[in-house]
Amino acid sequence: MHTIRIPLTLAAFALLHVGATAHPEFQAWSQTNSGRFVNCAMCHAHPDGPEGVKAGQIGSLTPAEMLVLNEARAAFEPGKKIESPILNKFGNSIVEQLGRREVIALRPTPGALATKLDPAHDIDGDGLGDEREYREGTDPLDAQSGNPAALFRINFARQRFHILMIVLATACALYGLNHLLRGLHRVASRAQKSQAR
Amino acid sequence: MNISEKIHDAVSFATERIPLHKFDFYSVVHKKEVPVHKLSWAYYTGGLALFFFMIQLTTGLMLLFYYQPTVSDAHASVEYLTRHVPMGALIRNMHTWGSSGMIACVMVHMLMAFAMKAFERPREITWVTGVLLLLITFGFGFTGYLLPWHQIAVNATKVGLQSIEEAGRYMPGGLADLPRQFREIIQGEPSVGQATLSRFYVLHVILLPLSIFGVLGLHLLSVQLHGMSKGVDQPTKKTERFFPFFILKDFSLWGGAFLILFIVALCLPFESFFSFPLFQPYDALGSTPDGIKPEWYFYFVYYPLELLPFWLVMLGQTVAVGGLFAAPWIFKNTSRRSLSIIAGAAAAYLVISTIFGQAIYEMIKGVH
Repeated sequence: MHTIRIPLTLAAFALLHVGATAHPEFQAWSQTNSGRFVNCAMCHAHPDGPEGVKAGQIGSLTPAEMLVLNEARAAFEPGKKIESPILNKFGNSIVEQLGRREVIALRPTPGALATKLDPAHDIDGDGLGDEREYREGTDPLDAQSGNPAALFRINFARQRFHILMIVLATACALYGLNHLLRGLHRVASRAQKSQAR
Repeated sequence: MNISEKIHDAVSFATERIPLHKFDFYSVVHKKEVPVHKLSWAYYTGGLALFFFMIQLTTGLMLLFYYQPTVSDAHASVEYLTRHVPMGALIRNMHTWGSSGMIACVMVHMLMAFAMKAFERPREITWVTGVLLLLITFGFGFTGYLLPWHQIAVNATKVGLQSIEEAGRYMPGGLADLPRQFREIIQGEPSVGQATLSRFYVLHVILLPLSIFGVLGLHLLSVQLHGMSKGVDQPTKKTERFFPFFILKDFSLWGGAFLILFIVALCLPFESFFSFPLFQPYDALGSTPDGIKPEWYFYFVYYPLELLPFWLVMLGQTVAVGGLFAAPWIFKNTSRRSLSIIAGAAAAYLVISTIFGQAIYEMIKGVH
């Protein structure tokens, strides 16, 4: 039994050090391009990246999760559905769309990643494509995170019925108050006139 | 002066400031008049602050149904509320934007009341309770900031609490230990943790609301008893009755404010203005993200603390707060024109430090 375990442990250890590192070039580019602080949580399961022993990092993975990780690492070509435990949904979607070979090839030109991703792909459904969120340094998994002006425009268009209703309700209330105010003014001025007489 | 004379003076002082004999239906409803002049708009800022307080109360109560005040669940409960509860994001955004609206209105209200010399005898109690309300509002902001238990919340609170303790270094003798003791009481354990969250939660949802009800009650009672201050030096030719005319206009303004708040909360998440790692769950063992800062309404203290010696900023703050409380006596003989200049300078400082604070900091420190 031990004779099998030792090579397996060595293999796992070797895997930890071959291709296990994050790709900080993408993070650095997103940060420089957007002017916003970006950390590994844009693509990875843990904000401090894949190396370590905390949840979402390689050191914490069970043997079963290691197998899933290895499957994901073998996805060199695009189109393969992967669920790497060290990546989040956006990280997995990048590998699915491009394949690991292209992701690795893009490391010297991280800005090109934005042009390779499908602009219609929008994981959090906030109306801003994942590639745009990557360019602008916002969280592709959080609908509350995004370019404020763009989010305002998109949400305004999406919620126009509710906005119309609240505008109508407020306009009716203000009309009623204004009408009441004018009526009261009229009553008060009449009372003043009669007092003056 | 013997004791009976002192008591007599104290009673006459209190009777003049709180003339309860005026508190009857006829005086409040029929006799209360609001002066009409070029600064009349400032009379609405207090009502607007009250409106935002009511919004905070209502949305805060709604948030309480889902919020879990534990370090393990606080962030997750806020995330659940935002992502999965119908209209949860709207209510949370209304609470967040509403807090900013409330603080902005309270600050503008105070500056305008100062410029209009609204603290003049016999309105000292109105003014002092107003200053207390400002401090309580800041207290709401400080304690509420920690509750979502994300990176910026916990780290900014740590910095804030550290500043309190540091103040002890500049206090004399036996007082030097007071800030540390105060920090220990409010923090509850050696580092910001569960005890701190529980204490901030209790402060935010029980103690501060109870205090604000008491102080606001006294503030509004005082406003009702004395009416609005005249606000300008020239005698006002025109006045309007508070009931029903002024209050209906107030309600109209509230309607407009609610419309704007609703649309902003619906369409513009408050968090979108910040880097997303700041809103990840706090990890005591993880790295601290860049850009930890307090809420915008503390920038007027935060940036000076970053740039100037601590003692100088503390001295400035102490003088400013002491000056605010004592304004009715310090500025008793100061003209409204001079008060307007002081209020204008204070407003300019607040606006510049809030909007351009970061740019000034980067320029002076030479960092980006």
